[in-house]
Amino acid sequence: MRRLLLALAALAGLGAALGLGIGLRTDLADFLPAGRTPASAFLVRELQSGAATTLLLAGIEGAPPAELARISRETAAGLRASGRFDFIGDGTLSLSEAEQAFLFRYRYLLSPETRPEAFTAAALRERLQALLDGLRSAASPLLTRFGFADPTGAFLGLAREFLGETRVETRDGAWLAAGKGPPRALLLARIAGSGGLDAASQQAAIAAFRAAYDAARPGPARLLLSGPGVFGAEAARAIRGDVELISLASLGLLGGFLWWRYRSLLLLGLVAVPLGAGTLAGFAATALVAGGAPHGIAFGFGMTMLGVTVDYPILLVSLRRPGEALADAAARIWPTLRLAAAAAATGLAAMLGSGFPGLVQLGVFAGSGLLTAASVTRWVLPALVPRARIAPQPMPRPVAAALRALRGRRRLAFGLVVVALLVLAASGGPRWQRDIAALSPVPAAAQALDAELRRQLGAPDVRLIIAVGPGTEAAVLAASERLGAAIRPLLGPEGALEALDLPSRWLPGPATQEARRAALPGADAAEAALREAIQGLPFRPGAFAPFLAALAESRALPPLTTAGLAQEAPTLAARLSPLLTRRDGTVRGVALAQGVRDPAALAAAVAALGDPAILLVDVKAETEGLLTDYGRATLLWALAGGGVALGLLALGLGGPGAALRVAAPIGGALLVTLAALAVLGEALTLFHLASLLLLAGLAIDYSLFLARAPDPFSDAEVALGAVLNCAACTLLTFGLLSLCGTPVLRGIGLTVSCGVASAFLLACMLAPRLADA
Amino acid sequence: MSRRGFLLLALLPWAPARAQQPGFEALMRRFAALPESRATFTEEKAIPELDLPLPSTGLLAWQAPDRLEKRTTSPIEEVLRVEGGRLDYARPDRGIHREFSLEDQPEMRALVEAIRGTLAGDAAALRRHYEVGFAGAAEGAWRMDLVPLSLRVRAAVQRIRLAGRGAQMLEVDTEGNGGVTRMRITPQP
Repeated sequence: MRRLLLALAALAGLGAALGLGIGLRTDLADFLPAGRTPASAFLVRELQSGAATTLLLAGIEGAPPAELARISRETAAGLRASGRFDFIGDGTLSLSEAEQAFLFRYRYLLSPETRPEAFTAAALRERLQALLDGLRSAASPLLTRFGFADPTGAFLGLAREFLGETRVETRDGAWLAAGKGPPRALLLARIAGSGGLDAASQQAAIAAFRAAYDAARPGPARLLLSGPGVFGAEAARAIRGDVELISLASLGLLGGFLWWRYRSLLLLGLVAVPLGAGTLAGFAATALVAGGAPHGIAFGFGMTMLGVTVDYPILLVSLRRPGEALADAAARIWPTLRLAAAAAATGLAAMLGSGFPGLVQLGVFAGSGLLTAASVTRWVLPALVPRARIAPQPMPRPVAAALRALRGRRRLAFGLVVVALLVLAASGGPRWQRDIAALSPVPAAAQALDAELRRQLGAPDVRLIIAVGPGTEAAVLAASERLGAAIRPLLGPEGALEALDLPSRWLPGPATQEARRAALPGADAAEAALREAIQGLPFRPGAFAPFLAALAESRALPPLTTAGLAQEAPTLAARLSPLLTRRDGTVRGVALAQGVRDPAALAAAVAALGDPAILLVDVKAETEGLLTDYGRATLLWALAGGGVALGLLALGLGGPGAALRVAAPIGGALLVTLAALAVLGEALTLFHLASLLLLAGLAIDYSLFLARAPDPFSDAEVALGAVLNCAACTLLTFGLLSLCGTPVLRGIGLTVSCGVASAFLLACMLAPRLADA
Repeated sequence: MSRRGFLLLALLPWAPARAQQPGFEALMRRFAALPESRATFTEEKAIPELDLPLPSTGLLAWQAPDRLEKRTTSPIEEVLRVEGGRLDYARPDRGIHREFSLEDQPEMRALVEAIRGTLAGDAAALRRHYEVGFAGAAEGAWRMDLVPLSLRVRAAVQRIRLAGRGAQMLEVDTEGNGGVTRMRITPQP
């Protein structure tokens, strides 16, 4: 007993040391493989570190509009002061005086209107007449300010282009959501930094946001916050909530069940030792293979898979004959246990070949954990409690009778499998889950809020993204300009899409800027053209001197680059930065479509360009493709692993016939489980596949221990009881999991509990009939 | 009011005074009591870069609490309608119709809030946007000097001078960018 406690304490200490020393990774970056097509590679990169991952959307409601506006303004001021955000959109978006002056200076290089024909006498005259007309109108204060230095309207055109895009109503310096419903102020913030799902910095930014909001003395108002970072936190909270409840409930149920069956606290400790040792070994092996912290997802799944190892001590204790030492019992069942563990580990090890970093880690973790747990059961447990006298209570009489009656009912088993096959054939098998949203652990209410805020803010459609580049800054901007020219005819309220936000919208490429500079007339030509244009119009001589001076200055300006923009016009640079990212000296651009009505027309226009630097990514189709690819690969590797495990069984049992007999209930259980999932309408995901692997590992135990020929000591009856206890333990834990709200956890729970029940029953039916009951 | 009356008004000894004085508050109350008013206007814009001022004429309409319309009929056709924070701009002769948020148009806002704030009798709104100078004289004549508080607005509009008699606004002079726009208003019954 003391040794057992010491062992448990040592495991706990070692576990804490490993956990604290190495830790877990939680970023998705190294769980996903790099995509294999350019489109999927782009998508994975966007998922990991794209502009979309750094966005926070907020709504404030529950107060009168004026109060909401005040809270919004003060929150925005707090956010700006925090320095954690690149960009805050709150309705006060405007260019500072310095930025306006800068934009004014660069107007001829930035304006698409700068063409040689814009500066002829005829064109200028038209512009001067328009200016005069404008001066008569209500726009005169604006035009007297800018019109004489900029009669062609280049600057005002730019300002309209840069600032006039928002369709959100502004009131008292805050965005207010349009439409019915209670008033709601809207805010948009982009977290500073290179982006990516770095959970810590996302959390820090969210905390900063909430702090700025609280500092604005919100009173009775409520803050609604959304965005990928918030989603991550919501998902973690949802999963944690589910898991805590389930762990507590299943711990209680499991403890109660084991106490009922064994009347021994010792057993509870014994069960924990192989599981703990397996977890530690798996963790260490994965850390070695991954060259660092294992991934959280691999760890979580691996732990689930190691649930198999709870069976080992239960089998050991249950199969001990009366009066037999635990060490002798361990030696006696070792060949079977070894075979079961080796076959299950082989099946999991197949994932090593998949090439997906996440699955490789999972395979290493679960495989090494299983083998360690089996070895610990064989050699360590007997040493810890050498004189343990734990024996299972006899099975309740009706259960024993029912199970005895089931033994050897091959035809029943056959019938069950045939029914499963028929169901699968009739239903076409379970669907493969293609919608990534269904996988999301984010609560549906949070997803709905996000969609609503996005719509109210007019945030870009994330279904279609156009990748531009990679290349140099100049090359990417030039490609962006080609894309813009090709899409322009499709824009508008009647067109295929509402708008397209391009990197070149904020900064034209250097070649374009040079061409515009070259299009500006020389001093003499400009003066002559102006003199001719002004004939008969009521402008005083010299009225346009600032214009002539600006032309001369512009002809000497060097083209503006992203570096220059960042220095002189931070507001514009903040708009450009999510569309143009530089990493390791390579620049990549994205174009975001808004209000896409005709995706096919957009795709056709991009395809017609035939430009290798421009790639349209249909996010939905690509994620579906990725999911299908991962699923297919996992399935293939699982099948391969199954084949190898079968070979191992043949080797261990002395012939393919025996191996097939043991494997039959496993195959049958998989079919029955798939049929049950199809009937329940569950769509298959990677997580279901991983659960099927776990199921196969469990089923091997049942099948192997039940298939052993019955011997005179009525071992068969004892083995049946032991396996029943194992199956019941698994059912208790995974059955609860299938009640979870989180789709992924529910999927695992359903799969494993269906599978365990059918595997146990099938193994029972296929087991040799008792000689005489 | 006769031409002579105007002259007299201009010669009155305008004592610069803070807007808290009782005359200002009383005038604001008189304006606040008027739910609507209509007027015609003539306007002359003097712009230093132009040889001659640009004249225009049209109609003004006010409807409490916050709706103001300025309809220019000659020489161009133009409708400027403000309601709440929205600005409707139309050039029927050009088929142009646009909607703006007043917030985004500081130059326009300066003018709108001055006229609207006065017509609404909203002293607080005036003080929120301007430094208000007020002077009253005999027979209910008054004059108001509004200097925008916002630096951004002041870049375009440096000062707005309003003058009137009783709850009637008769003159609006807007100074900005070295030019002056003079609006003369004739109230309609």
